[in-house]
Amino acid sequence: MLGALLAGCGGGGSHSNAPHGLASKIAITATGDARADAATYLKQLCPKPIGGELNFMVWEGYTDSVFTAPFERACGVKINATYMGSSDDLVAKLRAGGSQTIDLVSPSSDAITEIIQAGLAAALDTTRLPSFGDLMAGFRALPVARSGGKTYGEPWAFGPNPLIYDSTKVTPRPVSWAVFWDDRYKGRISVQDDIATLYMVAQYLGLDDPKDPAKLYNLSDADLDKVKAKAMELRPRVRKYWSTAGDMTQLFQSGEIVLGEGWPLMTHQLRAVKFPAAEVIPNEGTTAWADHWVLTSGAQNLDAAYAWLEYAAQPFTQKMLADVTGYIVANPGARAYMTPEQATGQHDISEYGAHVNFWQWGSKRDKYQEIWNAVKAAQ
Amino acid sequence: MDRVRTNRRVKTLVASAIPVTWVVVLLLVPYALLLIQSFWRLRNGTLTHELTTENYRRLFGTSLYPATILYSAGVALRVTVFSLLLAFPVAYVLAFKVRKHKTLLYMAVIIPLWVSYVVRAYAWKIILGQQGILNGLLMSMGIIRTPLTVLLYSTAAVVLALTHIYTPFTLMPIYAVLDAIPPALKEASQDLYANRWRTFIHVILPLSLPGVVAGCTFAFVLSMGDFLAPQLLGGNDSALMVSNLVWSLFGVAYNWPLGAAVSVVMLALTLVLLWVAGRVEARGSYGGEARASVTDYAAPV
Repeated sequence: MLGALLAGCGGGGSHSNAPHGLASKIAITATGDARADAATYLKQLCPKPIGGELNFMVWEGYTDSVFTAPFERACGVKINATYMGSSDDLVAKLRAGGSQTIDLVSPSSDAITEIIQAGLAAALDTTRLPSFGDLMAGFRALPVARSGGKTYGEPWAFGPNPLIYDSTKVTPRPVSWAVFWDDRYKGRISVQDDIATLYMVAQYLGLDDPKDPAKLYNLSDADLDKVKAKAMELRPRVRKYWSTAGDMTQLFQSGEIVLGEGWPLMTHQLRAVKFPAAEVIPNEGTTAWADHWVLTSGAQNLDAAYAWLEYAAQPFTQKMLADVTGYIVANPGARAYMTPEQATGQHDISEYGAHVNFWQWGSKRDKYQEIWNAVKAAQ
Repeated sequence: MDRVRTNRRVKTLVASAIPVTWVVVLLLVPYALLLIQSFWRLRNGTLTHELTTENYRRLFGTSLYPATILYSAGVALRVTVFSLLLAFPVAYVLAFKVRKHKTLLYMAVIIPLWVSYVVRAYAWKIILGQQGILNGLLMSMGIIRTPLTVLLYSTAAVVLALTHIYTPFTLMPIYAVLDAIPPALKEASQDLYANRWRTFIHVILPLSLPGVVAGCTFAFVLSMGDFLAPQLLGGNDSALMVSNLVWSLFGVAYNWPLGAAVSVVMLALTLVLLWVAGRVEARGSYGGEARASVTDYAAPV
């Protein structure tokens, strides 16, 4: 009851019709079993159903039924999820009116700035998210999710874009992206159907400046010409461009490819079906992403949205997210639920920067897109 | 007398209001909007309502766009030829040779249309893959030693899948025309001592032309506008057809003006094609009941 009152006050400018008790933090006795703890927690988060629906547009793996179904049941909220194919896909959908029909999105560190700049996001009322402070300090401090003194994103997960390979077919263990131009693997490679592949080529060419991460996303025309020429050399070596994680894992499993650039989610899914997948961050480095939950400017069902955001920040929810995706999650408390082996894969975002360059939104994105299409087009 | 006439006029007006509204609201207005959109300018990722021809200059000035349109036309042309080669003999046999269970056989040919496009595309992956059924068969027969990679994720795979998907569209109008040729014409030709071959060349083939043109137009226009086959079955040099480009401009780059310009060029090409097809048909048809014209079926892409 007190919680409900506090939320009513803290709700500020948002629709505060019958807010649920979110402002006070819910404490449960942790049992070490993520699913059981989630169930106990959700009973208190949603003492009675909130109702309504939430529309998500997120990366694959972010609405796995393992953690969404208990929320839907306990809070009486139906979650409708669409996957985004790329950061640009998300931004284009929101720009084309999607911010009025979609409530929550999970942009990476590139798209989030564009979404905030374009006025497509709503600032978060962190007083309605008492667990927000439990999330990794370095992740919360990322400038990409802030604008004008307001916070727009709730940290969720981060990770690299590693080189993934079939460890029985690719030996020795690759240490450089140069392996993509190695004749032994010609026609047995897959890269993403996205400008992210151009970043990788640029890193291989040494155009990524560790002192200036933004350079990679704003390359000069001369540098872009070099990238395009090298990408054209890669082209005949590619078997197929992937657009979903499912595409990539299927290419590995059907023996079409033996290596490629992808997401840790794929390595994780392949290992789950006993496929000998391995991943590595090559010497030239790679790009990485840090994903936040962002409320859209047109989000309607705010009580349900804030309940989801609060639930998403919990250590047991994040442990289930790590189980599904293999990503590094934002709540360090999730490690308490993990086996020592699983916990070793978790890092602090501040100690993670040496070899990776977190995606940013560059000013010449349109030009990158046209180059990528030209690489793909028939010659 | 006058009241009856007025009444009839009102009825005609009301009856035509629905199709006219339909055409105006769902065809003419969207096309007009598309045309206007293609002249707007995109500035820093935001649409500004300033008129410019920049989109068309970029379209024709960057090899990417004309090259992709040409590549798509090349794929569509191959699909059209293969669809015609497959559809004509089948339609001929169905129309003239089959006596019993005609409808049943016709349905058997048309049935692939009832199966989801995506399912059919995935089926081709299973058949054509390196560990697929076809490679397995060829290897077990000792014809090849290592699996053929050209079968899948290639232009060949795209053409094959599109031919599979659009052959029924080619077959239907050809069958309709052949089936409607009065048997008397064939008999008359034979009475005049024309052999089967001459009958085919001088009677059946000219009469079938409207159906052939309609069927070919379907295959060409539909496959030229396809974007799923290149995405699912295309490889490093065959993943981008013109519709993928339009999709990328609208859905990824958020460059609606340029996307609209490419769409307008495609629409213009389609209209020219339909006009040419209409002319060819008009010359080929003999004005009888055996008509199946493109314009009877076709809606522009």
